[in-house]
Amino acid sequence: MSETFDIHFLIQTFFVALSGVPTALIVTIVSLIVALPLGFLLALTRINRIPVLQWFSQVYVSFIRGTPVIVQIFIVYSSVPLFLTSLFKFYHVSVDVYKINPIWYAFIVFGLNSTALMIEVFRSAISTVSKGQLEAAYSVGLTNLQAFRRIIIPQTLVVALPNICTVTINLIKATSLGYAMSLQEITLKAKVAANANYNYVEAYIDIFLVYLMLCSLVEYLFKRYEKHLRKYKTVAA
Amino acid sequence: MEKYFDVKYLWGSFPMLLPYLQVTFVVAGLSVLFGTILGLIIAAMKLGKSKVAQKIANGYITALRCTPSIVLLFLVYYGIPAIVEIFGVSMDTVDKIVFVVITFTLQFGAAMAEVIRSAYESIDHGQFEAAVSVGLSPFQAYRRIIFPQAFVVALPNFGNSFLELIKEGSLAYTIGLIDVMGKASLVIASRINAHALETYIALSIMYWVISIVIEQLFLQLEKLFSKGKQVIKPA
Repeated sequence: MSETFDIHFLIQTFFVALSGVPTALIVTIVSLIVALPLGFLLALTRINRIPVLQWFSQVYVSFIRGTPVIVQIFIVYSSVPLFLTSLFKFYHVSVDVYKINPIWYAFIVFGLNSTALMIEVFRSAISTVSKGQLEAAYSVGLTNLQAFRRIIIPQTLVVALPNICTVTINLIKATSLGYAMSLQEITLKAKVAANANYNYVEAYIDIFLVYLMLCSLVEYLFKRYEKHLRKYKTVAA
Repeated sequence: MEKYFDVKYLWGSFPMLLPYLQVTFVVAGLSVLFGTILGLIIAAMKLGKSKVAQKIANGYITALRCTPSIVLLFLVYYGIPAIVEIFGVSMDTVDKIVFVVITFTLQFGAAMAEVIRSAYESIDHGQFEAAVSVGLSPFQAYRRIIFPQAFVVALPNFGNSFLELIKEGSLAYTIGLIDVMGKASLVIASRINAHALETYIALSIMYWVISIVIEQLFLQLEKLFSKGKQVIKPA
């Protein structure tokens, strides 16, 4: 442990930690792009009771919610290379799986993880939109796709937004575990900078501040968007 | 690293990991105990009249909600000894489990503060007034009327936070605590990093089973305590 508190290092490392923000955000955004539509579709399979798919999503959600993210990371990180090597060997592709950028593993883990959380979010949100809405949309001649795009999805989104915000915040926080896959994000960058002189206290204060700023900003943006969407909100009679 | 998957190692991991569940539960249990007390204090600050206390409580909850557990864990692990050192006390001999419990107490406290606040606010204030008007003291009113009702409302959220805590507790291995997760990394190291996948799958099954059991337990508890619950009829 360092002898004194190093203010200079604190300021310097703050920018090092800040340089990890793009990576954390890319992982978050890609995961959300995967999770939002997939979660919505799988939530529909639960609501419409489609056999097999329904059971699949039920077990899937239960597993992801029942195990720590770090264990999921380790499972993907140790199983995907194994799987890929045998696949590449089979098709004679000469790619070294151990040279793949860890960000791809991060996409897989966090994509899978947030999909499960989104299924739950959408399941509760869709069930709040009354069935009459869909019937009314059909009766005025909208197609299935139009009815969902114009009527159901906007209303679902208003209800789901606060929960989507929570999932996003948790996702940003979870990217800090990317260090386990040597993903160059906020935590790892600052930690590596601290290794030289054991300035861990300063480094973790920096990391703490960066996450605090990042999450507050995301929360603020979601609040603004929620206000914007509120015009779709159905008022309970 | 051998390039095949062997179920033998998966089964073999269970007897090695199971004894260490105790550590996981001790961490979770102590954190829940202290965290609930902390949550009560923060919720009381937030519901109280003092504007300063409200600001502090809100700031605390926001800060904790925005901090990943692993960052908080290391802040506590490196930060507290550094602060204590200023006063000339060394914390070198303190067991690692203390830091883990402090971390998750802080985190669980923030989660519980919100759970307790929303449960308290869900109970109509007229209940308290009615209780006092029939001659109960304020303490009796809280104990007999408000608490039993708020408890039922808080139960599902409490269960969720508890599950979250058990899962986040797995991060304690990063500072070297030997709980199930820590033991799993030791087991993998002892196999020279081979068969990591099997060990992690065994670990995930254990967590999965624990989660399902706790989830069901809380569902049953909810059913048990909802007996006297009044259904709100729209006026």
